[in-house]
Amino acid sequence: MWGWRSSRTVVTLTAAVVFVVVCMLPLLFMLWAAFAEPGNAVSALQGLLLDRRQAGLLYNTVLLGCGTAVLATLVGAPLGFGLARFALPFKSGLRLALVAPAVLPPYVIALALIYLGGNLAATLGGAIVALTIVLYPLAMLATEVAVRQIEPRLEEAAILVATPGRVLKRITWPLVAPGVVSTALVIFVLAISEFSVPGLLRVRVFTTEVFTAFAALYDFGRATMLALPLLIVSVVLASIAASHMRSRVVATRRNVRGEPLAVFDDWRPAVLTLISCAIVAMLVVPVTALVREALRSVSIVGVVRNSREAVINSLFLAFWGATVVTMLAACLGYARARAPVRVGGALDALWLVLFTVPSTVIGIGLIGMWNRANAFSAYGTSAMLVLGYLARFVPIGALALAATVRSVPESQEEAAALAGAGWLRTMRRIVLPQIRIGLLAVWVISFMLAFGEVGTSILVAPPGESTLPIRVYTLTANAPPGQVAALALFQSVVILFPLALLGVTMATRETS
Amino acid sequence: MTSPFLRLAAVTKRYGGHGGIEDVSLEISAGESVVVVGPSGSGKTTLLRLVAGLERPDAGEIWLDGRRVAEPGRNTVPATDRKVGFVFQDLALWPHLSAFANVEFAAHSAGHSGTDRTSRINEILRLCRVEPLLADRYPHQLSGGEQQRVALARALVGSPQLLLLDEPFSSLDRDLRVKLRAELASLRRQLQLTAIYVTHDSEDAETLADRTITMRSARVDA
Repeated sequence: MWGWRSSRTVVTLTAAVVFVVVCMLPLLFMLWAAFAEPGNAVSALQGLLLDRRQAGLLYNTVLLGCGTAVLATLVGAPLGFGLARFALPFKSGLRLALVAPAVLPPYVIALALIYLGGNLAATLGGAIVALTIVLYPLAMLATEVAVRQIEPRLEEAAILVATPGRVLKRITWPLVAPGVVSTALVIFVLAISEFSVPGLLRVRVFTTEVFTAFAALYDFGRATMLALPLLIVSVVLASIAASHMRSRVVATRRNVRGEPLAVFDDWRPAVLTLISCAIVAMLVVPVTALVREALRSVSIVGVVRNSREAVINSLFLAFWGATVVTMLAACLGYARARAPVRVGGALDALWLVLFTVPSTVIGIGLIGMWNRANAFSAYGTSAMLVLGYLARFVPIGALALAATVRSVPESQEEAAALAGAGWLRTMRRIVLPQIRIGLLAVWVISFMLAFGEVGTSILVAPPGESTLPIRVYTLTANAPPGQVAALALFQSVVILFPLALLGVTMATRETS
Repeated sequence: MTSPFLRLAAVTKRYGGHGGIEDVSLEISAGESVVVVGPSGSGKTTLLRLVAGLERPDAGEIWLDGRRVAEPGRNTVPATDRKVGFVFQDLALWPHLSAFANVEFAAHSAGHSGTDRTSRINEILRLCRVEPLLADRYPHQLSGGEQQRVALARALVGSPQLLLLDEPFSSLDRDLRVKLRAELASLRRQLQLTAIYVTHDSEDAETLADRTITMRSARVDA
């Protein structure tokens, strides 16, 4: 339909090149730097991995990943099932409230736990609870998608001959299990990749060691070596998860008639109670803890004013970061949606893997690649922060937008081409208007994630330039808790506000 | 005069302003075979789903074998306890279970246990002409006709009092359709089942029906 010489080729190729440079080269560069002198790399790795201290590190990291994956799945899977199979009042609002903890910066949840539990929170168990609060929405959404993909007739055929409990055990669960288990693997990887929660709660894991090696000991080689096992585990597990998920990663197929009626109806009160408890425990309690602690501060407005520069910096960088992420993700998502099945599946897997790469590993890779004296170097400028946002969030944005573009039949583009429209005009008039809500959603989510990003930012931020997350994170060491809580609360409000707006937009669209 | 086996009294079911059925009253005797015909969207499938207990009526009552099973807004007897076999239009075979396990799931739930269950399953598979070597295959490994037979076996294994079939032959080619229709008619007579078939096809009606009901615009034609 569109020839090689069309503008489509130019746009998608440019996007692909930018993607490779920004998202992949830093990691490849890190690997190259580590193995440039194989003898040194092997002996350094042996030294690190056989060290007793490192064994403890490995133990903590694995326990953190397993504990979070299990707990987040136990919390999230029943909630996802409830959202998929029951007619609930204000369902969109309930879903957004349940998803909200996932867009709050993890260290904000960790701070709330510290205010609630004191020293009890600063343990491996505390880190598992904090990461569960942040990551259970993934298990919930994956379960909801998986349950929605089950043809309702399958459960209806079973309910004619079996109790709801047996239908759930023998029919529903086996059909959703692959998706739920794959998501648990992704949660494991994201948990071991997280830096700010274990950092704040003083739990020693690989990500905090990478940060210490680089920021405290100025030992780039050691930081690289410590990042390697983390990178390998992330890549391997995320690849396994991606291969199991295939096209189910973010695609959903809604049942036209809504929820099947009679199958699990008797459980509705229990599901409503569960959802209410989850919203209270996972969102209301942490935010209330922040508010209570912040009110001890002399003046919340005063605290925010003192950090004005960091706030403006963060808003500015998050705005541009989200804008560039969305533009690049839209081009890549389009290319994936129109790619052959095998290529598309491979791209989905690659993006999922890249999304799970630890933030500190990305930071080390970016520094290694850009910290050199030439005219093109971005090192030491704010551009490093935007590059960090791109490296971290383009993969997940592309994954989401690919699913959105797939909902626009290719035949619509063919019809436009036959009518004489070029590719750019077809995009502007036919495709983009149909995916505008998806674009808005990706922009909002990228903005929220960028606004709370700390793991990469803290490594690549130029001297003297601070973002709000970096300021909050550094203030925890030496400022009164009330001040830190006030900033964290302000940050939460800035993040939750666009989420609420997005919710209203989507609800209006559903109604219309 | 004996009371009807199935009675719908002024039953209405609406789906957000479109579809469904409107003020339908109907009586079916035990052992009777009724074919429901009518254009798409006339409410045929909704009628079956209400009788099976998969939907609740907005108005009216449904009586089955002398029990009131549904009243406005409520199923007084849940689908599980109505002793109804249902063959769905898309068959709804569980894809993660083999043909045998599909039938076994229903047999287990019907209270058959141990060797009794296995012999009951084998008997019903034989009755529905499912070859023994097909029993271990998964639905996607079966042909359309074989899937149809497994779906029928699954619907019959619990010894239902009422068999409901929603366009059971719609996805089959003509030759297979004629063959299966004859088999089904013979099977129903053999088991003396009360049955309701929903179909578009007038030949289905001629072969299977003791009585034909026509639905149009959500109502039963007088």
